[in-house]
Amino acid sequence: MIETKSNITQTLLDQLQENAPKVDFMPDTEIISAIRYLEEKGIPNNKHEDYKYCNLEAVLRKEFKSVEQSFNELTNADIAPLKLDEAINLVVVNGNYNEALSEKMIVKGLTVKSLNELSASEKILLSSQAKSDTDALIALNAAFTGNGLFLKIETGNIIPMPLHVIYVNSGSSNIVSNTRSFIHIGASADVTLVESFFNIGTGKVFSNFVSEKFVGENAKLTCHTFQNEGALSYSVNTNQVKINKYSNYSNTTMTLSGELVRNNHNVVLADSNCEAHLNGLFISNGTQQIDNHTLIDHQMPHCESNELYKGIAKDKSIGTFNGKIFVRKDAQKTNAYQSSKNILMSDDAIINTKPQLEIYADDVKCSHGTSTGKIDTEALFYLKARGIGEESARKLLLQAFAQELIDKIEIPSLQERVLHLFEKAL
Amino acid sequence: MANEILEEHIQNEYKWGFTTNIDTDEAPKGLNEDIIRFISAKKNEPEWMLEFRLKAFRNWQNMIEPTWAHVSYKKPDFQDIIYYSAPKPKKELASLDEVDPELLKTFEKLGISLEEQKRLSGVQSNIAVDIVFDSVSVKTTFKETLAEKGIIFCSFSEAVQDHPELVKKYMGMAVPPTDNFYAALNSAVFTDGSFCYIPKGVRSPMELSTYFRINASGTGQFERTLIIADEDSYVSYLEGCTAPQRDENQLHAAVVEIITHKNAEVKYSTVQNWYPGDKDGKGGIFNFVTKRGICLEDNSKISWTQVETGSAVTWKYPSVILKGNNSVGEFYSVAVTNNYQQADTGTKMIHIGKNTRSTIISKGISAGFSNNSYRGLVQIKKGASNARNFSQCDSLLMGDKCGAHTFPYIEIKDKSAIVEHEATTSKIGEDQLFYCKQRGIDNEKAIGLIVNGYCKEVLNKLPMEFAVEAQKLLAISLEGSVG
Repeated sequence: MIETKSNITQTLLDQLQENAPKVDFMPDTEIISAIRYLEEKGIPNNKHEDYKYCNLEAVLRKEFKSVEQSFNELTNADIAPLKLDEAINLVVVNGNYNEALSEKMIVKGLTVKSLNELSASEKILLSSQAKSDTDALIALNAAFTGNGLFLKIETGNIIPMPLHVIYVNSGSSNIVSNTRSFIHIGASADVTLVESFFNIGTGKVFSNFVSEKFVGENAKLTCHTFQNEGALSYSVNTNQVKINKYSNYSNTTMTLSGELVRNNHNVVLADSNCEAHLNGLFISNGTQQIDNHTLIDHQMPHCESNELYKGIAKDKSIGTFNGKIFVRKDAQKTNAYQSSKNILMSDDAIINTKPQLEIYADDVKCSHGTSTGKIDTEALFYLKARGIGEESARKLLLQAFAQELIDKIEIPSLQERVLHLFEKAL
Repeated sequence: MANEILEEHIQNEYKWGFTTNIDTDEAPKGLNEDIIRFISAKKNEPEWMLEFRLKAFRNWQNMIEPTWAHVSYKKPDFQDIIYYSAPKPKKELASLDEVDPELLKTFEKLGISLEEQKRLSGVQSNIAVDIVFDSVSVKTTFKETLAEKGIIFCSFSEAVQDHPELVKKYMGMAVPPTDNFYAALNSAVFTDGSFCYIPKGVRSPMELSTYFRINASGTGQFERTLIIADEDSYVSYLEGCTAPQRDENQLHAAVVEIITHKNAEVKYSTVQNWYPGDKDGKGGIFNFVTKRGICLEDNSKISWTQVETGSAVTWKYPSVILKGNNSVGEFYSVAVTNNYQQADTGTKMIHIGKNTRSTIISKGISAGFSNNSYRGLVQIKKGASNARNFSQCDSLLMGDKCGAHTFPYIEIKDKSAIVEHEATTSKIGEDQLFYCKQRGIDNEKAIGLIVNGYCKEVLNKLPMEFAVEAQKLLAISLEGSVG
């Protein structure tokens, strides 16, 4: 007799339902249908094509059999070291927007509030992109979401300084944190946004983050994602982005720690003449698993997309890049590029890449390239011949490999923070 | 202008759609253990062979049809297929003159007349042809010349009778009967195919060739090819396929296995031109083929070259398992789809041995309403140090109603590996066309020139005899599909 495996999805659902947060903005019908979807599909495992290299079910079964939801309260002193000097710092703790810890500054055209405070007309926009019947993790978030962050830039406003959203989780034992944010950039607005992810508790965290981003006509959104959640954290970050005519969206993801980091970055280019740029860098060691998953959906003509992802896998870590470019029938004159470069530093490390093109329009230029290898021995020899020790020569080369992406961070203090952690990880 | 040419091309009927009238000796429709026993008995097979078939069949019953490929089609009804049909047996053919004249005519229409082969036999470079005509190998030519060298080249059923020890040892080594749904089906019901054994130290003096042809209506073609290259041997093997025009979809689920020993090399070339269905996507062949080679020992090499222009639905991934140290795998492919054709093709390169190398060059061309996908896996296992892979997949789109897709999987578990993959999708450049036209080359010829140039890397790898046919096929498939 084969013993039937315990259903981890059900176990998780039961535990979460016990002390589910009560939020006003999520309609009950939505919550019920999300739970139903989860019960039916379950948390994805490696049999699921999109999670082939990221077996979430196994991770949850191993690490999150019992969930306590024992969240810690945080004070200003806890948050201070996470802040960025030249930005407006906003804080979301364990899934809930924390106004007391956030910096208050009156900036023309900027609205920041919690999702519960949304007006009826604003509520309609929610879940229009992150649909809970498309992905189990979005469903999980919809069912148990905290009172997340709403950020809106009114039409025509240029925000003079970066906005820094600190998503921080903290628990004293196993917690599951479902964080949600909604970012709305009005037409012709321009803003730089930094989203940082931390875990400062003593317990393990399964962080399930969903963000919907909407970029209006002729607007520009420059995003930086900074992930440094530490060894106790297992996180799935889903970004559902929709960009409009003449708009420009860019995102640079820096993954520096976290036992499991899965990034789902889905961008819909919904109208003509818009641009999307996705970049990412990770360095992993120990038994870390880093999985970057992107989907660029070209729906209309004359758009451009660029992707550049780099990774360095050390020890027994696993790095994955899975990128898909989808060019629909109407998306003529599309230019889409995708590149993934990886370095393996150890025989026990694994790199998986799966760059996909799915193209239904003929007048397009699409290409992808991926390469995986070791440090160039000739370059290493060149440096050694000039009296640089092997260890520092190797570090120099790896830094040069990563520099291209680190340079994309336009905020000096954030760049410094990334560089410092990157060098430490080398 | 361009549309007119396209229209004209689309209206071209399948040139090779004709049926040969030969009485066939058929099994009743359907599939069960009795049918398998019938096939086995009909072919007078030993007990172990029947066991192999039944084991595969029992496995197959528990398997489900794969749905992951980027194709959609009406699933074949496996109980509505005739699993065995043989042309009337004619014994002891001493010369080609004794071959059924109807059959000879068929081959003539295909442009591979046996007479020509025979005539050529006095001259320099030759091709030995093992013809598979609806599941039963009718005639193997050049057998004597090959026999002198010790090369065994015969139909699969003959091999089962005459060389059971070789068949028993190698069959199922590269493609186990449980490998996948169609391989299991083939292992259960295969009727015939080709068998080839190159002994130690022998270089095959000629290119070996099989022409597959599906004839009787409603018969599935379940061929099995087994090629074994012993130490220090070399062979170049050609496979060509055409099928006559039929309205209902016909299923083809073949298995090809290649095994190379130390320092051996096998080059396998395919030109596949089965009936692709008419311009509305009606009819056509389902081509679900499992092809795999194992570089069993050190310094061996397997090279797959394919030109795919036919079939309604193609599902085919010729693969190489690089087990021996310093072994080499190659995959060169041109896949052309037009009208409502669908192709999901590519390769798998599994690096196990040290210093193994593999190269993948795939060129896809889609026109009309077709969908053309490349799906490939490059896997570097732990311990496969200094493995090297280079992959390039290019797609060319002609018209705005077709699709071109790439699904490469790259899994690397060794730090000394160097793996590169690049893919591009584009259409024929206006500037390229302009350049040609400016030099007095008309639109039609310019397209031919550019497409041929685009595929050159692959076509160059084909043996001379095949390259000519392949170029002709490309020209027919694509003439004026672009403007």
